[in-house]
Amino acid sequence: MAVREFLLPDLGEGLDDAEVVAWRVAEGDQVELNQTLVEVNTAKALVEIPAPWDGVVERLHASEGDVVKVGQPLVSIRVQEASAEPSKPKRQALLVGYGVEEEVPAVGPTGRASTARTREQGGPVPASPPVRRLAKELGVDLSTITGTGPRGRVTREDVLQSAQPGEGSVPVAVARQGVRAIPVKGTRRLIAEKMARAAREVPQVTTFITVDATALQAFRQELSKGSDRRITPLPIVVRALVEISQEHPKLNSSFDAERREILLFKQHHVGIATDTEQGLLVPVVHDADSLGIVGLAEEISRLTEAARAGKATPQDMMGSTITVTNVGTFGAEFGTPIVNFPEAAILALGVVEPRALVVDGEVQARPAVTLSLSFDHRVLDGAEAGRAMGALKSLLESPFRLGALPR
Amino acid sequence: MNEREGPFRVLPLQGEPQHELSSIGLTEKELRELYRLMALTRRADLEATALQRQGELAVYPPLIGQEAAQVGSAFALEESDWIFPSYRELGAAVVRGVDLVEYLHFYRATWHGGTYDAVAHRFGMVSVPVASQILHAVGYAMGAKLDRIALATLVYFGDGATSEGDFHEGCNFAAVYRAPVVFFCQNNQWAISVPLSAQTAAPIWKKAQAYGFPGVRVDGNDVLAVYQVTKEAVARARDEGIPTLIEAVTYRIGPHSTADDASRYRPGEEVEQWKALDPLDRYRSWLMSSGTADQDFFQTVDAEAKQFATKMRSGVIASGPRPVEEMFEWVFADLPPHLARQRDEALRFAEESSGGSHRG
Amino acid sequence: MVKALNEALRHSLADDRRALVLGEDIGKLGGVFRVTDGLQDEFGIERVFDTPLAEAGIAGVSLGLALAGWHPVAEMQFDGFSYPALDQIISHVAKYRFRSRGRQTVPLVIRIPYAGGVGAAEHHSESPEAYYAHTSGLKVVTPSSAIDAYHLLRASIADPDPVIFFEPKSRYWAKEEGDLAGDDALPIGRARIVREGNDCTIVAYGAMVARSLQAATRASEQGVETEVIDVRSLVPLDLDTLAGSVRKTGRAVVVHEAPMTAGFGAEIVARIMEDAFDFLEAPVLRVTGYDIPYPPATIESHHVPSVERVLAAVDRVVNY
Repeated sequence: MAVREFLLPDLGEGLDDAEVVAWRVAEGDQVELNQTLVEVNTAKALVEIPAPWDGVVERLHASEGDVVKVGQPLVSIRVQEASAEPSKPKRQALLVGYGVEEEVPAVGPTGRASTARTREQGGPVPASPPVRRLAKELGVDLSTITGTGPRGRVTREDVLQSAQPGEGSVPVAVARQGVRAIPVKGTRRLIAEKMARAAREVPQVTTFITVDATALQAFRQELSKGSDRRITPLPIVVRALVEISQEHPKLNSSFDAERREILLFKQHHVGIATDTEQGLLVPVVHDADSLGIVGLAEEISRLTEAARAGKATPQDMMGSTITVTNVGTFGAEFGTPIVNFPEAAILALGVVEPRALVVDGEVQARPAVTLSLSFDHRVLDGAEAGRAMGALKSLLESPFRLGALPR
Repeated sequence: MNEREGPFRVLPLQGEPQHELSSIGLTEKELRELYRLMALTRRADLEATALQRQGELAVYPPLIGQEAAQVGSAFALEESDWIFPSYRELGAAVVRGVDLVEYLHFYRATWHGGTYDAVAHRFGMVSVPVASQILHAVGYAMGAKLDRIALATLVYFGDGATSEGDFHEGCNFAAVYRAPVVFFCQNNQWAISVPLSAQTAAPIWKKAQAYGFPGVRVDGNDVLAVYQVTKEAVARARDEGIPTLIEAVTYRIGPHSTADDASRYRPGEEVEQWKALDPLDRYRSWLMSSGTADQDFFQTVDAEAKQFATKMRSGVIASGPRPVEEMFEWVFADLPPHLARQRDEALRFAEESSGGSHRG
Repeated sequence: MVKALNEALRHSLADDRRALVLGEDIGKLGGVFRVTDGLQDEFGIERVFDTPLAEAGIAGVSLGLALAGWHPVAEMQFDGFSYPALDQIISHVAKYRFRSRGRQTVPLVIRIPYAGGVGAAEHHSESPEAYYAHTSGLKVVTPSSAIDAYHLLRASIADPDPVIFFEPKSRYWAKEEGDLAGDDALPIGRARIVREGNDCTIVAYGAMVARSLQAATRASEQGVETEVIDVRSLVPLDLDTLAGSVRKTGRAVVVHEAPMTAGFGAEIVARIMEDAFDFLEAPVLRVTGYDIPYPPATIESHHVPSVERVLAAVDRVVNY
């Protein structure tokens, strides 16, 4: 004798449960196979459930009025057999569709032997489309590279290494003791690549000039009073930069290596280098020459907030023709910024603080700021850059001369 | 075949005179065999319903009340004749000797149509799209005729099926080509919840006239009448290439399927009325009153039916799902490369998820 | 192509005693396109016969005939009229072998003239091949040339599985030269490279193969050598040939008349991408009919892929 549990079966409606309406047997009753045990109500029908075995009712697992879930015990019956295998409710809805219960892992393409010529035979070189593009942009011939990726695939790293002239292969295996490896992925990876490219492709130099900021500070205060926001030096510098680049258009340009042309941009879209959690992002003030200083301040504010919150639109992030970076916020006096490839120039704004300046032959403590201009030496030479910087200094030291546009 | 107002009947209902039986051509042994087959069918049908309620079958469409219509007609066929069933013909399957465990595999979701060998039993796989099997029966009959093989096909369908286009096209093809087909409609009065009056405006048996062949209405709960009418129709088909539409008037005592609650659309009194016309009771009382069978016989048959159902039950419960690779086995004659890859993948995942225990 | 198809049917009826040809108007009339011309006279009314006007009936009855051991070749008179037969084809023809666990098989061919470019009325220019290709259990083929039509139809009739045979009606009357007895016949499941080239692969089927070859000639004048592949067999698809070519050229354009969305080209592109990803120099493009009901004949040329549209796609991938 053994006790078997009869679990409430799926009655074919795809429903999860049923309500016990009326028991037709009591505990202790002898029952025959297929004798009606109970009437239950599903959402659609009143159904009689017959006993699956001969035996004696051991236990009713629900009272009239109770709701029992499919798969839960309904009644236990003491049967003649020696073994008491647990019975499983069978959930198979034939006419009703069930969704997939478990996540089916995504399938990748199954490996297939290539029937085309292999690269040894002079055939095509395996490399994913983005890698091909990179190779093309760097002017690297894929067939000259030995791929280190799976199945002999040429990887991005293979291409990048190959693009460094005169270098041997960089040892990949580095002693790992005492070293903490931080993987560089996503945005940071892209930033790193762009920096590397700019450093690699653009012959850039930096020139510096120190500006007496006394008038600038006064101008700032006046502007801040007039508007309901605190105007920092940055929008004023941006404004000044945009203005002097009318006379010095090469500041707002790009060197096209393929065509060997300098592209002078008519529009002024100023990138604002912004420090965010994801790394250095450069949102863009479009048509900066159409904005007054206050307008610039607002737009810069909006863009930097959006960039930090990760909410900048692609439009916000694209299309800069020249870039400004405020290294002064970190307290730096000046810097050697790397151009925002493929632009020709980037201006770094240092910290505005009291310095010892020589005024009329005397040393005085005055607010001052050093500007650093890194530029593409293929586009500008030292003289041109120097003249531009001179004009910038001049304008910033007499800021009331800043253009006719609204302040 | 004369047109009749009422359905053709052999076994008298209460108060009716007995019809002449000599033309039926059945021996006493065969007369008893008819009952035995109906009893096995009844018992198996009840058992299948119970199995569904116990979670062993996913769904089941009971045929209770229609035993005479199915057994009487299937019994009238030669072994070489083909039956094209729909999805409720467990009774015809019993007559054909189809293993009911294999038949019920359809309802256990083990395999579409069931797992039995249709060719060996000349009993087609369970077919679900209503009326669609009618065309197959017609085509098969045409094919047999081309081979000059003397056989007939008999296709089962319900009252609802006569509304489908395939019924119409099948009747038309059969008449035009003089295909040896018997169209056997079990008019059980209901197509799920739609009564006959909402299904068709013309009597079913009379539709045959539109196609140019005989139609006959028979009392579907009178196993001898069904037998006789079918026998004539099969002979007409086989010998003359003239199809017949048989409308067997019967009643679906149970719901459309175990997923249906018939009380929502039909009155209980109607069901009770028809229960009183139970085909087994009716035939049994005639067998007894005519002296063809006695109590011993019925007791033996009951015991046999009980055993039959028990064996079916244990066969069903003991069976498990088919091995995963069978999903790919019978798509094409040979497995094309892309399917071979898919099969390998399916097997790989099956091994991982079940630790290799998926194979049946 | 009509003559080639006619020959194929004739030879199959002669070689295979179980082959039958049936459909609307295919007997005495010889078919509305004359594909079955003369067959009834030669083989008799029992093997070549007209049916009532009933597509579902034709398909279902053909299935029954196949179950009875015959090899029916049933015709749907036009692509747009094949739809009533879809239930029989999808619910039964495609599934009978599976359902009966291999005991009942369906050696049936359903011939369907399809596609447009013939100035026809509504419903006579459909390209429904995707519905059939998507139905597991069916083989789907379509010849592009007369010679191939002959071999492909003979192979289909001999195939133990159900084959949907799409005949590009705009090629019915195209004049071609060739030898039916040539031994370069390819089986179902193989594609054919009809033109070799190294710069770009054009994958096409049916009437679009000829169009692609025209584009190939024009491209060649511009110094671009395209490889043109005739798919022939949509199911089963010859991925080896397709992917092998794309690995060589690195660029591919798929051309079909059927509308773009969920067209068979999407399947080809997906498989090429999976298999030849590392060799792609450019995205795989499709040149297809637009996602519109087939337009009136007076403007159909703006819908069916033109040589110019194919060239534009080739141009784009070559210069990517």
